Amino acid sequence: MLESLLSPEFFNAILRATTPILFAALAASVASKAGITNMALEGIMLFSALFGVIFSAMTGNFFTGLILTMVIGGVIGWFLAFFVLNLKTDEILAAVAINLIATGGTVLLMLAVSGDRGSSTSIASFSAPRIAIPLIDKIPFLGEIISGQNLMTYLAILAVIIMHLFMYKTPLGLKIRAVGENKNAAESVGISSRKIQYIALILSGVLASMGGFFMSGGYMNMFTKDMSAGRGYIALAASAMGGNTPIGAALVSLLFGAAQALGNMMQLTEIPHELIQMVPYLTTLIGLGIYSYSVKKRKEKLAGK
Amino acid sequence: MKKVLAMLLVFSMACSMIACGKKEENPAPATEGSSDAEAPAETPAEGEPAASGETYKAALLLNGNLGDKSFYDSANEGLTRLRDELGADVFDFKVEQMGGTDADQPKWEPTLLDYCDSGEYDVIIMGTWQMADPLAKAAVEYPDQKFMFFDEQFDFAGNGDPQNIYNILYKQNEVSYLVGAAAAMMTTDASFEGVDPATKKIGFLGGMDNAVINDFLKGYEQGAHDIDPEIEVVVAWVGDFVNSAQGKELALAQYQNGVDVGYNVAGNAGLGQIEAAGDTGLYAFGVDSDQAALLPQYADRIPTSALKNVGNSLYRAIKLDLEGQLTYGTTEVLGFAEGGVELVKDAHYEEMLPENIRTKLDELEKDIIDGKIIVDTAIER
Repeated sequence: MLESLLSPEFFNAILRATTPILFAALAASVASKAGITNMALEGIMLFSALFGVIFSAMTGNFFTGLILTMVIGGVIGWFLAFFVLNLKTDEILAAVAINLIATGGTVLLMLAVSGDRGSSTSIASFSAPRIAIPLIDKIPFLGEIISGQNLMTYLAILAVIIMHLFMYKTPLGLKIRAVGENKNAAESVGISSRKIQYIALILSGVLASMGGFFMSGGYMNMFTKDMSAGRGYIALAASAMGGNTPIGAALVSLLFGAAQALGNMMQLTEIPHELIQMVPYLTTLIGLGIYSYSVKKRKEKLAGK
Repeated sequence: MKKVLAMLLVFSMACSMIACGKKEENPAPATEGSSDAEAPAETPAEGEPAASGETYKAALLLNGNLGDKSFYDSANEGLTRLRDELGADVFDFKVEQMGGTDADQPKWEPTLLDYCDSGEYDVIIMGTWQMADPLAKAAVEYPDQKFMFFDEQFDFAGNGDPQNIYNILYKQNEVSYLVGAAAAMMTTDASFEGVDPATKKIGFLGGMDNAVINDFLKGYEQGAHDIDPEIEVVVAWVGDFVNSAQGKELALAQYQNGVDVGYNVAGNAGLGQIEAAGDTGLYAFGVDSDQAALLPQYADRIPTSALKNVGNSLYRAIKLDLEGQLTYGTTEVLGFAEGGVELVKDAHYEEMLPENIRTKLDELEKDIIDGKIIVDTAIER
């Protein structure tokens, strides 16, 4: 058991489990910063997982497949924004609708394209490759973790840095945060809150779609029915726990990924699996507890107690 | 701009409604059409005893859709085979695809009651645990309607002991016994590429920890231990039947820790184990449908698959019913002897497994049929 935990495979498993959650958590954080809870992450990921397979098979390579999938993610994000901002739908209800459409719609689409209802095995799709970094892959142990990951994992890490710079170093990032903090105050200085929230939700959709693409084009090499399996909701929790900042969301996603991988390893032992399956959720609960305690402390400090 | 958007929205909604409508209407004409096409060609002069001289009509209610390449397709195939054999004026059936998603669930019970109400069908067939509650209600409300219920134990005693249900279960433990034996022989056989004969470990990936999946596991363990008592069966549970990536992770953890051969009993999540076998160059047994044929890109990792033959069991039950030999109000558990379960033994199987393993499996199957081997079960029968 201990031996397995210290093997590079275990760390690889952590990174694999983290990647989809990380993309979705970044998506959740940018939407939250703009003042909207994007509950539709789950549906966007599911749609993107299917479209990733379809587009990469149609175009014959994963890269154009990924780009087109990101466009789809953006379109779904735009749809959500249209319903919430123009038609004044409740943001949660609109998101739930998208998630439900995704559950049935992906199966319908898959049936239309491949003639299958359970999985997309008959579509010859292309997955994002694993990247071996020259020289680094020669380092024992560390090299096996740093090198040889899926391209999408590296993109996820890159996305954290880009999103951090975007949110805190660019005027648009500042506007997004301003709108999320206080819409009226932002409007009063001439920011169009609707435009900013549109941008945030479209960006959120694009990020979530990259997580979805990884599910069927990297993690697995096919689409299977309902394969997002709640990762969109876990990402929402990760983002909230990370204070809706890109770096915070990334760290919590890594924690969730580690909990997941640890749980998987623990299934090799004699510990009852019901207990083990609690590990990721227990981690969430404890994490949220610690987070809200620290928020409370900080507030008390500010109040001068 | 706004108007254009609104128009687009209306258009897309209308399209989706048409699409949904089509999906449900399609199957009915298709089945009717095929029966029309076959009816004139058939000459039912074989003297089969028809129930009271009229057509025996069955309704197959699926809480899912055809095209699952598993239970439902198998059920449809069995009934089609019977109709082709007897002729459509002796036996005919209709398939109702109710859909399998959470959103479809509310219409299962009303559909079932509608079919009972019509009184047109000699028997109404359905399966899986999700239909147990609606069936219990319908059976009491329509005591004259006959039902067949497959792949889940019907609780007769707890539902007023209805005498109009014939319950079919499958001895998945028997077919899993053979899979376990095959896996045990493979993991100690260095002639399989990638197999390390020193580690006597085989894997099992279950969906949810319920009685049926445990029945698979019991047979698998017993089959493996009868070949070699030192074999260790490593068990992992996904927790659902859809999280394929999680299934892949669990299977990878097994394969990286000495497991050479796995067995997936986890629905779509089990596809993860097959991908893990592909990534590690090891082996996984399929379940419920011929997964080697379904997944050609992973076929060289899947020696064979364990099947429940729903079609065979319905074929057998209706034939017995036509002869007046079927006792309603009872549960029957069908194993190898009745053709209720089977291991896929095609050219691919012969190519993947050497003759000594195949001969041993045939012997074991015969011993099970002859009652020389009694396979443990996780289900109280």
